[in-house]
Amino acid sequence: MSLYEVHKLLWDVRRVRDVTERYRSDPDAVLDEYGVEGDFRTWMKDLDFKSLYEHDVNPYLLYFCAIQLEVDRADYYARIRGVKAR
Amino acid sequence: MSTPRTGGKIVGAFAASHSPGITGWPERAAEDARKAVEGAYAEVRRRIAELEPDAVIAVSVEHFTNFSLGNLPAFAIATGEDYLGPATPEMAKFLNVPQHRYPGDAALGEHLYSSALDAEFDPALVQGGLEFDENFCVPLKHLDPDSRYPLVPVIVNGVNPPWPTAKRCYDFGRMLRGAVARQTAAQRVVVLATGGLSHWVGLPESGDINEKFDRDFLARLESGDPARLTAFTREEIDAAGNGAHEIRTWLVAAGAAATGFDVLAYEPVSAWLTGTSVAAARI
Repeated sequence: MSLYEVHKLLWDVRRVRDVTERYRSDPDAVLDEYGVEGDFRTWMKDLDFKSLYEHDVNPYLLYFCAIQLEVDRADYYARIRGVKAR
Repeated sequence: MSTPRTGGKIVGAFAASHSPGITGWPERAAEDARKAVEGAYAEVRRRIAELEPDAVIAVSVEHFTNFSLGNLPAFAIATGEDYLGPATPEMAKFLNVPQHRYPGDAALGEHLYSSALDAEFDPALVQGGLEFDENFCVPLKHLDPDSRYPLVPVIVNGVNPPWPTAKRCYDFGRMLRGAVARQTAAQRVVVLATGGLSHWVGLPESGDINEKFDRDFLARLESGDPARLTAFTREEIDAAGNGAHEIRTWLVAAGAAATGFDVLAYEPVSAWLTGTSVAAARI
């Protein structure tokens, strides 16, 4: 798996409504479809934005994906600052 | 026999921040800061109206609204007849800008694209389908509320490293200046750059402002000195946040203007998450 699969998933969650809805209802199926495995899969499922960012995921894509998944902005920033437990 | 028309001219160049807060939640800024920024936007709106431009070359980044890491150009020139913005109803609500279509100047866009290739720049061609986010929707709500001016959108990568160098951006602007002079359809052209200054998007530092960087950048912009403007390294810009990389769009405008700018407003507005400025070239 390359970082591109994660970036593609984040972009599609933001911009492709069908992917957004399917990711909300069944994230495992979508993660399988995009081939997201290992730690990145765990961090995506936990919304662990801090770990994703620390492993080179683009912060714009992280932030926009979070907004699309209706993660509150304050919650997002608490998570990326590591002040909120997973 | 009619007199041949002379080449087009850049009659004005302006630069402004495009923080979603400027239109989305203006009230969260301190009243003085808000008044200063909105006053500067109103002044630029007045000046552009007075210039009666045939077209506006609008230079900004785009925030993964159209491009992705499957295809991310360093520069792109759009040649569409019109553009949708904001891209989605949700974004329209977020930015407090009604979703609508902005007119495009397709002929000027095609000329700029062709001229770029002749000048050995290799931007991506975007013939249609480009949608706007805060990049253009936020400043144009203030500067062209009725969407009267035909646009040629120019996109610079400011959202994912590695970014084009400061010199390349300035030179891209110089290329645009030459290209405008080599066509006759759009006689009076305004360049509008949007983005910056210091800010952090999606990062732990979000809300910080690097005022020292902002004031240094604005001093260089005021000087108009190409050597000072193009001396920025990627690392120096990065110290002012991932959003600060949007100053590349201002560098394009500086190259197109070929002169210094007056800073009409600068306010470090943490509530808008951005060092917020509006500037006008001394043309």
